[in-house]
Amino acid sequence: MIRLPAAALAAVLFVVPVLTATVPAVAVLALIGLLLGAVGIATLWRWPVTSAACVFLTDYAAALWLADAPVSVAVAVGFGLSLLLLLESVELARCMRHATVDAGVARSLVTRWFGFGAATLVATFSAMALAFALAALVPYAAAPFVAATGALGAVLALAATVLRPRL
Amino acid sequence: MTARPTPLCLSLLTVAAWALSLAVLSARAELFVAALPLVLVLAALALRPSIPDYALTHEVSTDWVFEGDTVTVTVAVAARSAVPLMEVIEPLPYGSELASGRNRAVMALRPGQTASFRYEVRWTGRGMHDLGAVVVRGRDRWGIRAWERRHVDRTSVRVYPRIAPLRSLPRPFHTQASVGDYTSPALGEGIEPGNIRQFTPGDRIRQVNWRASLRLGSLYVTQRHRERNADVVLMLDTLTEVGVAPETTLDLGVRAAASLATAYLARKDRVGLILYGGLMDWVRPGSGRTQYERLAGTLLRADVVFTYVAKDLAVVPPRVLSPHALVIAVTPLLDQRFTTAALDLAARGFDLIVLVVSPVDVTRGMLAGSETDDLACRLWALERRARLDGLRRHGLAVLEWNPAEPLEPALAGLERRRPRLAAAR
Repeated sequence: MIRLPAAALAAVLFVVPVLTATVPAVAVLALIGLLLGAVGIATLWRWPVTSAACVFLTDYAAALWLADAPVSVAVAVGFGLSLLLLLESVELARCMRHATVDAGVARSLVTRWFGFGAATLVATFSAMALAFALAALVPYAAAPFVAATGALGAVLALAATVLRPRL
Repeated sequence: MTARPTPLCLSLLTVAAWALSLAVLSARAELFVAALPLVLVLAALALRPSIPDYALTHEVSTDWVFEGDTVTVTVAVAARSAVPLMEVIEPLPYGSELASGRNRAVMALRPGQTASFRYEVRWTGRGMHDLGAVVVRGRDRWGIRAWERRHVDRTSVRVYPRIAPLRSLPRPFHTQASVGDYTSPALGEGIEPGNIRQFTPGDRIRQVNWRASLRLGSLYVTQRHRERNADVVLMLDTLTEVGVAPETTLDLGVRAAASLATAYLARKDRVGLILYGGLMDWVRPGSGRTQYERLAGTLLRADVVFTYVAKDLAVVPPRVLSPHALVIAVTPLLDQRFTTAALDLAARGFDLIVLVVSPVDVTRGMLAGSETDDLACRLWALERRARLDGLRRHGLAVLEWNPAEPLEPALAGLERRRPRLAAAR
């Protein structure tokens, strides 16, 4: 049952880049992502789903670059949430396979997902407002370096949090 | 107990890192935004984990069953604090299978809420089995951190051998002193008419045979045979076995012994048991329900223990192996030491029946059924038939039982004569 939302999320991730830029190359890449996602959802292996998420991201980046459209925060938040929920729903499906699932699990999941979606939207708009304010302070030439340094710092900080030894 | 990051963390980290890299490379703010939900979830790892507080109870519907019966297991979890997601697993013990339901459950509980799940386990083989080792794997709200705890509330379930109802049983030659179902040669109070003799003072009027008295002109009385019970000792060969559990020759022998014990106990006989193998064990003859439980408990533990030593039946006390007992040896006759012990008993004048659990049919059931296998089995069956005939020539009552068929026809095929009468001919 949990595979249905996962499949729906994969479909959303397929549709968003295709609608952003109607170019055959984008559609082909989206199809590869969908295929990997289908394999992951069917077999409940982690690696095809993670690969599918990366392919969808690449496809989305390519579509944005090709379309060169104005920034759409709501679509981007939806895309990011879909990626997150796809990965989580496959993990949950692995957990629930061959198990008796209590009725409270579905209720708890729906509440959590909607709550987190709303919180993410608020956080994104706050972050965007903050970014616009800070952008005025950063020189135009240094912006790529600041972005790269910020991204690298964020990834390293997250990696350190995930991989730190637990006692 | 420590909460550890799950593999989902690595997936999220990979995708987030890839999204940020693409965002920098393509200079598109949308990709930063798309990475934000993933980054927010991963940032939750920096928070202190909270391990849920809960109580787990484990119940089993019964602590004993027969082979093939089911036991209902109920596992209940009462949450004292919020449990975002909890996976409860009870590994199935060896030799068991799920009859219905599932032995894994996933639950999410609010504080004060209780959830339970139940499933049925079926055991195909006898033995003492432990249940109650429950593994609980908890996850946080996003499944990025997990912890594991093992609850051990050990409950033993005794699985007794399956019993086949038996109506016709081999009759013992000797009877004992207590009241039972067999007609004793001794005369006294009973139902079965015996000889007629002349009336003597002290005889009761109701014993007078009026027809004989009128014909012969003086009073005659009818004597009657007593109804008495017997001692039956089941001797189980645990020296060796063939086959795959739970259908080895020993398992089949245990079922046959349990069926015989139940049938003889129902006839008010005293039944004893000797396990003849690497470890000798015995149960003194007795009767009643308690005796059945004693016998079944010993049969549960019956197992092959390898030994080079030839066991002597002299170590068995006479009160276990009484000279007037009917001894039923249940064996696949694969070990010469058991054959020697059976011949020794017969030579000592014991009333002995050898019930042979055919290993040929058990082995044939395991094999693929190629022509070579079939030929080998046929040759083996011929060789065994010759051996069994040899034992019969020694005066042993030998019954061969093909386990694919019911036990009763095999027992019904036994023709027994008293050794005294056989010797007189």
